[in-house]
Amino acid sequence: QRHSQQDSHIQYERVGADVTMKCGSMDWDAAVTWTANGTDIDDSHLNGSYLILKNVDLTQSGQYSCYEGSSWHLKYQTYLRVGVPPKEPLLTCRSNNYPKGFYCVWHLPSPTYIPNSFNISVIHGTREMVCEKDIFPKNRCHIRYLQLFSTVKYKVTLTVTNALGKSSTTLTFDEFAIVKPDPPEFVVAKPVPNNPRRLEVSWQNPSSWPDPESFPLKFFLRYRPLILDQWQHVELSDGTSHTITDAYAGKEYIIQVAAKDNDIGTWSDWSVAVHATPWTEEPKHLTTEVQITETTSTSTSSFMPPPTTKICDKGAGVGS
Amino acid sequence: PQNLKCVTHNLHKMVCTWDISSKRRHGQAEFCYTTNDHLPRCYKTKEKRVEIPVPESSITVKITTYSISGTAFATRRFEINKKDISFVPLAPHILSLTPDFSTFTLTLKWSDNGSAFPYGLDASWEIEVLRKETMEDVTRESYNSKLTHEDVIHSWKWKSDMPLECTSHYVRIRLYINVTQFDGHKDWSDWSPVEVIPGKDTEPSGSGLFPQDTVVAVGSNVTFCCVHEEGRQVQRMSYGAKDYPLIRLSSRSSAIRVLNANASDASGTNIVCRMSENGMDGTVLFVGYGPDIPEELSCETSNFVIIKCTWKPGRASGLYGVRGTKYSLIESISGKNVSCEVNEMKKERVCGFPVLADQKTYSFVLGVSNPIGQTEASLLVDLNQRVHPETPEKLTVSGNSSTSVRLHWYINGSFAEIRLLCQIEISSAHSEQKLHNVSMPGGRFSTYTAQLNALHPYTKYRFRVRCSAADHFWRWSGWSGTEEHTTLEA
Amino acid sequence: MAAADTPSATLRHHDLCSRGIRLARKMRSDVTDLLDIYVQRQGLDASISVAAVDGVPAAAAERWAEQTGTQRLLDNLAAYRAFRSLLAQMLEEQREQLGDADAELGPALAAVLLQVSAFTYHLEELLELESRGAPAEEGSEPPAPPRLSLFEQKLRGLGVLRELAQWAVRSVRDLRQLAKHGPGSGAALGLPESQ
Repeated sequence: QRHSQQDSHIQYERVGADVTMKCGSMDWDAAVTWTANGTDIDDSHLNGSYLILKNVDLTQSGQYSCYEGSSWHLKYQTYLRVGVPPKEPLLTCRSNNYPKGFYCVWHLPSPTYIPNSFNISVIHGTREMVCEKDIFPKNRCHIRYLQLFSTVKYKVTLTVTNALGKSSTTLTFDEFAIVKPDPPEFVVAKPVPNNPRRLEVSWQNPSSWPDPESFPLKFFLRYRPLILDQWQHVELSDGTSHTITDAYAGKEYIIQVAAKDNDIGTWSDWSVAVHATPWTEEPKHLTTEVQITETTSTSTSSFMPPPTTKICDKGAGVGS
Repeated sequence: PQNLKCVTHNLHKMVCTWDISSKRRHGQAEFCYTTNDHLPRCYKTKEKRVEIPVPESSITVKITTYSISGTAFATRRFEINKKDISFVPLAPHILSLTPDFSTFTLTLKWSDNGSAFPYGLDASWEIEVLRKETMEDVTRESYNSKLTHEDVIHSWKWKSDMPLECTSHYVRIRLYINVTQFDGHKDWSDWSPVEVIPGKDTEPSGSGLFPQDTVVAVGSNVTFCCVHEEGRQVQRMSYGAKDYPLIRLSSRSSAIRVLNANASDASGTNIVCRMSENGMDGTVLFVGYGPDIPEELSCETSNFVIIKCTWKPGRASGLYGVRGTKYSLIESISGKNVSCEVNEMKKERVCGFPVLADQKTYSFVLGVSNPIGQTEASLLVDLNQRVHPETPEKLTVSGNSSTSVRLHWYINGSFAEIRLLCQIEISSAHSEQKLHNVSMPGGRFSTYTAQLNALHPYTKYRFRVRCSAADHFWRWSGWSGTEEHTTLEA
Repeated sequence: MAAADTPSATLRHHDLCSRGIRLARKMRSDVTDLLDIYVQRQGLDASISVAAVDGVPAAAAERWAEQTGTQRLLDNLAAYRAFRSLLAQMLEEQREQLGDADAELGPALAAVLLQVSAFTYHLEELLELESRGAPAEEGSEPPAPPRLSLFEQKLRGLGVLRELAQWAVRSVRDLRQLAKHGPGSGAALGLPESQ
């Protein structure tokens, strides 16, 4: 019956390290038994009462306990966590709600297998700004602009630390450079009755953009028939709708829209793609006897097919 | 008493010193010496040091040491021959060390103290320049002079390979006098105390990047230094777009060395020093060429009002604006000097000089200079031999005859002092083009007339005219415009 | 002074604002091009950071959204008057330093100077419309430029152009705000009559 005396602690070691564990205060030559997650470890790993783990790997993470030979008293217990120091984190900052503020988001290029802590500092000239962490996602925080139109660069430094090491990344950028709206929303494309070569596209400013009136967006529309690869583009400096007038009759089109502040920053990603097919003439019914007697309904002259707006997967990012 | 040494600093007097071997406390010592031609002379001293005249021949010295109470301890005799005496001049005294920061030059002045020595001795000086906090040796140079039994002030210049602001520069000097007739050992004097030109890195608020806004010739080697406040670090120094390895001069000064500098752009090459905590300093270097000797310098006048000199500039200097090449035309007979407005980008170079009353011969020197160098070209001009009239204007043809016409034209300029030769070109459909030369006295801004005879009646002619100096032809003017005229019917 | 709010004033105000926005946007585009030429001609590193430069009006504004129309115009006017003399100084320095070798930077600087002057006049017109009248320029002579080394002169020029580019964007935003609120927006937003 093993008695727990020793309160356990966590021991972090790098992948590939050689680990030696002493059995608490026991002498080297004392008779002891080591277990890993409750399973006895054979004597080949012991040097006297010391446990020797060579070139540890991730699988060797776990709870290690040492019991005195005769009394089975627990003399030592640790939780071994094998991992790696953090690599340089990837950090991005962006303002999608200019001029309110900007957010920074980060992630590690590869896992460390042990807990990491992140610290972010935002310096504007000589002033340190607060980066309020979002509850979710945890790797993101946002900063409120205290000043607009500043030529002074922002310097954001993210430091990631774990028990095995530390790494940091610094970004320096101008206020305008990181302005990138979210894609336009509610993109709708409709055929224009009696116009076989027209499609009417409309959309809305991204809801995250706080003041489109003072900070108007301009838009970039791209469209192509599914049968072709080559996009056609049109830039629109204001307004949130456009009529395509050169569509191929009867061909299904894929349409996307991107947005950009009228004066600064870069283009948003492309909006969700919508599909539409220009209005087509109703095919005339064949004048054979059989058919007339079967279809007794009258056909109305104006035919309004429901808008063939299909919501597709998110489009690819717009080149900035 | 032991180790008796006698050293002379001025060939007149010598200082003899000795040691006492025993540890016991001593009072005075008695120093007695005698030569062949005089009785012993004795001196009492506590100093173990006595100054006596330099003997003509050998001397015998007897030194007796006494206790505090005056009882004699020990006595010892020494034989001092002339070759046992050393001649070591006194350390020279620096009068001044003056920096010229713009040319990185130190000027050292010192007195040779020649009055203390006989006339005509050869003096060799060694001047040592040291640098940095660690007073590293930079150079040791020799300088020779002749002593003239007078105190002569000598001057020596040294150009540093880096701006004097970069770090402290120290200079010291020592002397060796080659007294051929002195038998004893001769040696260099001690070094003079160092004179220092403190660098900016010693001034409490001294900082900056040096040299500031300098101009050097292509191919030069240039050292730039970044002086900063205590506690700051130079992270990197760049010349143009390239970082250079840092050379530490002191805790507050780092340098880079640029070798064989290429020609810079018009706005110069930037040297930037980036320091910790976003600190930054910079300077600009302009690298260009000195002016070439102007080629094909030529001067002429088209109106006896202005003399126009032209030349070929040679290689472009690569320097512009305030650093551009300046041209001036100096006329040595009248002493008049004119500076020329020149557009560095245009190939053609022109400069105007006023024609002076009653002066026919002009001795021009075209001076050319820019921050890198200067040169000149000269030309002696007899103005009458360099007349290149302006194109005749307002050519008119008149005549109410079938075989003759009168031509009138105007030439801008004052040719009153020379004769003009004008050439009239006569063309008509029926006959070959003919050139008719006519010479006439020059006038002041006047219209000239010539009559042509033996023309064909009722014939349409085209006339144009050009002129030059009749005596000492130099160049024709341009052709005037063409005028048509039809002679009357016969 | 009652704010002029007659229909024709409103129309004129809107016209001045929209023309001003177009002029400011053109100015920004030209200043951005000029910045590229300047950095290249002066051999500077485009990413070099320039500390705040004395005498150059900073475009950075705190609580920008809360400014009244009149404050916006007055701030803009003061700034562009300063830029007018700063650019003139820069032009003089370019001629002195580069002389004939400068066939690109000088003309580009002169073109922007013209636009700044035009925009300054435009702002004065807008202020007239605000029935405020543009404040007189304090002293005709601009302050003598500080004695700078050539590198400092280059950095100062960069600082001036960067700040001007920011101001051009700010002016577009300011004029949009003005266009939203109509003439006399100084008073409209509760700015005390006597100013």
